[in-house]
Amino acid sequence: MDIKLQIFIIISCILYLVFIINMIRKEKLDLRYALVWILVDIAIIILCVFPKIIDFIAGLIGIATPVNMVFFFGIVFQIIIVFSLTREQSQNAKKIKELAQRIALLENEKNSGR
Amino acid sequence: MKQEQMKKLIIIPAYNEAKNIKKVINNINDFASDFDYVIINDCSTDNTKEICNKENFHVINLPTNLGIGGGMQTGYIYAHENNYDIAVQLDGDGQHNAKYLNTMLDFLINENLDMVIGSRYIEGRGFQSTYMRRFGGSILSLIIKFVSGTKIKDPTSGLRMVTRPIIKCFSKYYPQDYPEPESIVNIVRMGYKVKEIPVEMLEREEGVSSINIFKSIYYMIKVSLAILIDALKPKKEDKSLWI
Repeated sequence: MDIKLQIFIIISCILYLVFIINMIRKEKLDLRYALVWILVDIAIIILCVFPKIIDFIAGLIGIATPVNMVFFFGIVFQIIIVFSLTREQSQNAKKIKELAQRIALLENEKNSGR
Repeated sequence: MKQEQMKKLIIIPAYNEAKNIKKVINNINDFASDFDYVIINDCSTDNTKEICNKENFHVINLPTNLGIGGGMQTGYIYAHENNYDIAVQLDGDGQHNAKYLNTMLDFLINENLDMVIGSRYIEGRGFQSTYMRRFGGSILSLIIKFVSGTKIKDPTSGLRMVTRPIIKCFSKYYPQDYPEPESIVNIVRMGYKVKEIPVEMLEREEGVSSINIFKSIYYMIKVSLAILIDALKPKKEDKSLWI
């Protein structure tokens, strides 16, 4: 990997990390959802500092061109994150529905003077 | 203020504690009858709600499952809105004994503290938890010491008593996922005084604790990071903002 590219990616990742942590610090982002981004970010920094790891893992699982492995894992991670968000969103929708129902029932109870 | 005039509330977070909740309330009636209590039923899927209603226990039923953080915060909001001077968390699984509550209260008043934590590890008696959990706990202790300068031997203890200003803080912001260690750091960094007192805890009798190896690793990473990020928050030194 070209040293210029390496430095560029590392600096971007560090800026990104600072950005995320600052959001958490201001309580605008919940650590629970940010954790996976922080870990991916740190993983990218490590891979960038030691690009040999990419070659090693690619050889290990039999991917001929290491860069393909980077793309492959990039896509896999995105699928995992998007899926977990979908799951979270479904649960949120269910919770909001239950809250709305509960409020409606309470209001009804209150108005009928019980 | 005299101890007898204080309004004191026990907050009992309960999720699927149908088998334990009766024992917990009996224990409170035996040893801490001058405390009010409220059970926060975090949308249990067993018949915790039915048992509480049948026995006429004072219970707040959450309409959706909020987790321990959101549940406890509900209790603190209740305490704040009803002008309680003291609030104490007592887990609904029966591992905390109410006989310590008055000792904790005396300690809180005599030492002029803002928060007292019942610690399993000071005298090392009673149920001591597994080696892995103790190891995790001591790492968290180190991190807390590092960012706040206060030594807390049992940072994951759920037996904790707080005063009115902290009730107000917690009713506004309380960590959601694994709140115990993180909330200690928040409190210490605001300039409040926190100390521990030795207690014995029991192993939970019924039901299962929801801890496995992956969850433990996730827990450690998350809580450590949360504490470190909290250390970057601006210090809220001016207590008057919060009272």
